[in-house]
Amino acid sequence: MLDKSIQEIHEALKNKMIKPIDLVEEAFDRIEKNKELNAYITLNKEEAIKRAKELENKEVGNNLLFGLPIAVKDNIITKNLKTTCASHILENFIPIYNATVIEKINDNDMIIIGKTNMDEFAMGSSSRTSYFGAPKNPWNKEKISGGSSGGSATTIAAKDVLFALGTDTGGSIRQPASYTGIVGMKPTYGRVSRYGLVAFASSLDQIGPMTRNVYENALLLNIITGADEKDLTSADKESEDFTRLIGKDIKGMKIALPNYFMSDIVTKEIRTEVEKAKKILEENGATVDYIDMKYLDKVVILYQIISMGEASSNLARFDGIRYGYSIENPKNIEDLYLETRKNGFGKEVKRRIMVGSYLLSGENAKIYYNKALSIRDDIKKEFDKVFKNYDLIIGPTTTTTAYDLTDSMDDPSKSFMDDVLVIPVNMAGLPGLSLPIGFGKNHMPIGLHIIGNSFDESTIYQLASFLEKQVNLDLDPRKDDKNV
Amino acid sequence: MKNKLTKEEVLHVAHLARIKIDEGEIEKYQIELEKLLNDVDKIKEVEGYDEEKMIAPWTKNTITREDKSGEMLNPKEVLKNAPRHSGNYIEVPIVISDGEEA
Amino acid sequence: MSNYIPTIGVEVHCELKTNTKIFSNSVNGYGQMANSLTNVIDLGYPGTLPTLNKEVINLAIKAALILNCKIRPKMHFDRKNYFYPDNPKNYQITQAETPIGYDGYVEIDIDGKKKKIEIEEMHIEEDTCKSTHRGTKTLLDFNRAGVPLIEIVTKPCMESGEEAKLYLEKLKELLFYSDVSDCKMEEGSMRADANVSIRKNISDPYGTKAEIKNIGSISNVKLSIEKEIERQAKLYDNGEIFLPQTRRFDDKLNDTVLMRVKETGNDYRYFPEPDIPYVYITEKQIAEVRKTIPMLPDERKEKYQSLGISEVNAKKLVQNRSLSDYLNEFLDEKIDFKTASNLLLGDISGYLNKNEQEIINTHLTKEKFIELTNNISDGTLTSKNIKEILDTVMESDKNIKEIIKETGIQNITDSSAITEMIKKIIKENPCSVADYKAGKDRAIKYLMGQIMKESKGSLNPKMAMDILLEELNK
Repeated sequence: MLDKSIQEIHEALKNKMIKPIDLVEEAFDRIEKNKELNAYITLNKEEAIKRAKELENKEVGNNLLFGLPIAVKDNIITKNLKTTCASHILENFIPIYNATVIEKINDNDMIIIGKTNMDEFAMGSSSRTSYFGAPKNPWNKEKISGGSSGGSATTIAAKDVLFALGTDTGGSIRQPASYTGIVGMKPTYGRVSRYGLVAFASSLDQIGPMTRNVYENALLLNIITGADEKDLTSADKESEDFTRLIGKDIKGMKIALPNYFMSDIVTKEIRTEVEKAKKILEENGATVDYIDMKYLDKVVILYQIISMGEASSNLARFDGIRYGYSIENPKNIEDLYLETRKNGFGKEVKRRIMVGSYLLSGENAKIYYNKALSIRDDIKKEFDKVFKNYDLIIGPTTTTTAYDLTDSMDDPSKSFMDDVLVIPVNMAGLPGLSLPIGFGKNHMPIGLHIIGNSFDESTIYQLASFLEKQVNLDLDPRKDDKNV
Repeated sequence: MKNKLTKEEVLHVAHLARIKIDEGEIEKYQIELEKLLNDVDKIKEVEGYDEEKMIAPWTKNTITREDKSGEMLNPKEVLKNAPRHSGNYIEVPIVISDGEEA
Repeated sequence: MSNYIPTIGVEVHCELKTNTKIFSNSVNGYGQMANSLTNVIDLGYPGTLPTLNKEVINLAIKAALILNCKIRPKMHFDRKNYFYPDNPKNYQITQAETPIGYDGYVEIDIDGKKKKIEIEEMHIEEDTCKSTHRGTKTLLDFNRAGVPLIEIVTKPCMESGEEAKLYLEKLKELLFYSDVSDCKMEEGSMRADANVSIRKNISDPYGTKAEIKNIGSISNVKLSIEKEIERQAKLYDNGEIFLPQTRRFDDKLNDTVLMRVKETGNDYRYFPEPDIPYVYITEKQIAEVRKTIPMLPDERKEKYQSLGISEVNAKKLVQNRSLSDYLNEFLDEKIDFKTASNLLLGDISGYLNKNEQEIINTHLTKEKFIELTNNISDGTLTSKNIKEILDTVMESDKNIKEIIKETGIQNITDSSAITEMIKKIIKENPCSVADYKAGKDRAIKYLMGQIMKESKGSLNPKMAMDILLEELNK
């Protein structure tokens, strides 16, 4: 059933051919079968079944998402359901409150199936910093699924469920989406409430939908957006139907392709796929212009400074006093802090907290953090300029396809460089989506990155769904013989 | 332009971050932190930017909340996740110095 | 001990009088069961975010106006990062870069002269949780975590403990009167730190600074500064040097004691709070807040004295804000304010203290108070009468006329009846009359006593005295 289109599933539910419990059971069966992919940290079995049964008494109505299972990244707070951030320090943390997006998911009668694997506190680009081991790429189990939302990408690519939530601070939805051949959207900063998203870098973090296709992606975004009085950085935008431009043709659309995105930092095979997409767009009446943009080569530095600086402060609250892991018999208060945080955090997280502390220390705050905020403002203005003349910006999502799980993790800069093409969007707070457009020579998926103007997710979906139809890829790794 | 991070500096940032590092780890951290600091040091080369700072990408006038009270936790819920507590209090080893106070 | 010039700056934290906390909607309260006034935001749970209490901004604007500060039209909050168990997020949300108010002053009277105590800046921040030490443990109560504070920092512009004391008294009076804060030092809703250094000559650079933390009362602020000046002077006299340090005042030792020598600058790693966008303050908002500022103490004193109230009474009234507020309701009435102030500060205060009541909670309506005052000033009621009827006045809905009638007070206000009575007394006491004529003042007191006794106190003494003198001098 879970391979059917959303409309077909909806009709079946509406006509009482199936019940939500059937979908839930099917999802758990599939997750069980795909256990070795390590997509989940915690399954919500009992509660999901209970919810599904409760929903049997409820009218399906016109809600396409009614009764559908959804996977949630494990840095989104779920009441009474363990939320670990893939960290030892929160290994047994059972929250007493819900994130705003979780309330919205519940209100829309979706069923939370489990909490997905990720990089510890979302710090990483391969989900290998998870305390619970890395998820594996359904297209090739020796490869990474990307990160930090690697578990959510994995479970969607493996067709366990139709819907997942990810979070994106510097590409953490779009990059794994690209590596696993799914659709991942990072909405405009402020579009989705961050209340209940465990902060990594507050000014960059954003929750977004990860799905098997564009239409379903827009459907999920429809229900998770909206101003939230609990989040001062959430935007007071009217709710809108993000599917409304899907199916419209793209004639006359003006698209920019920054030269930097097509430079030799990107592998040839990926550039080739982007060129192909460009051609399709042009053939269908859109114009695609190569442009130059300032600062694109500087975004990784800015990202490092801002994200590590904010992270060092955001993660200070994990001290073993009010919740979470704490050492036994601390000698004194300093001992409690030092040992709890030494044992509780993994290597990558500790490294970033330390560098972040250094960057904000004394005069450094001016030299690094404040300067980064100033340049960041300029980057936003640079994008504003482009959007005066163009509807969208495109480029590749990643510089390579997914690499091996066993590749070295020794270079602390590597995980940042993986995200060089997706970070600019977080810097400017813009929406960005990764769409599968082809495969590399090793049959690993390649994604196209589509960037829109602030609060213009709808136009991104319009272009993405158009291209999706044109390239018409077979995105089922289960049919890929050598990997089953 | 190579950033040289001394052992003392490594220990200082580890202390700021309240992360204990063992003697044997210092050198490894020294190398890794240095690598990252050399990355970010490139920001010093950026010139000609505008001083205006972006605190958050979404800028609007902060919407303030009415001064009305809402739901609160009962002490039992407060203690539920706390590793150490006694009575209605969350407990920590005695704090001797008056520390860095606000 | 040689003479030194002390330099003193004072930092004051005041808890704002709001219903809820600054960044969450849990109750801002004192003296409740431990950890009963919190939510996940106050406890710094992961994923939680701050919201901003409108009233905090309004009260801070109000304080800034009262302290003659300039107000920043665009400001933001900053994070001050430091690990401490009373600091739930291990960062405190405060304002380091853009304090809401700056360049203000408070005027004090010292040795008959006015002096402006300059205020460097005033900013908004959140309070920490309360810790109590028990044996080998420290217990944390998060009820106070997130209570809104303003911190008011003076320039190093004071020269004595007395000046600091006067400044704090004035500050307390101002903030209390404008309903910004309760300013209860004993409950910690107002807390003071003093920075003290001394130097030989005004042209010398400032001396080494000692900060005295968390002083528990205004009188101890004065005392601790004086003790600290003395201590530093002795050290300099002996040619000793000392490091910048933090000290506290010990009540029992009656002296300051060392807490710690300051590290080379605390590394608080301030940066702009990304969870709270810029806050803009408009002229309109400031104007609206300005309207809510009540008449302040100095203005009240002036007004009272202009209405004929004595300086002593005016001062006493201002010290008792509820009485002063009560009296302010009548300022446009045509009553004898001298009598009114005596009544408020005398019998009525006595009644309120005895019954532990606030004047607004009694039955003393505006009309009744005016009636009462007028009845006294025209001699209808004597102070003895007041004592008799006050309980009824304060506790019943009846008006004064009814009460007088019911209690059967029949004061002799008919001067011919009084004259008759006085003539009788004179006749009965020839010796005293002779004494009076011989110039003995005591005699007149005795005669008055007899008159009051005869009339059972129902006589206006002033009127009786006038008639007595008249009769005696005939």
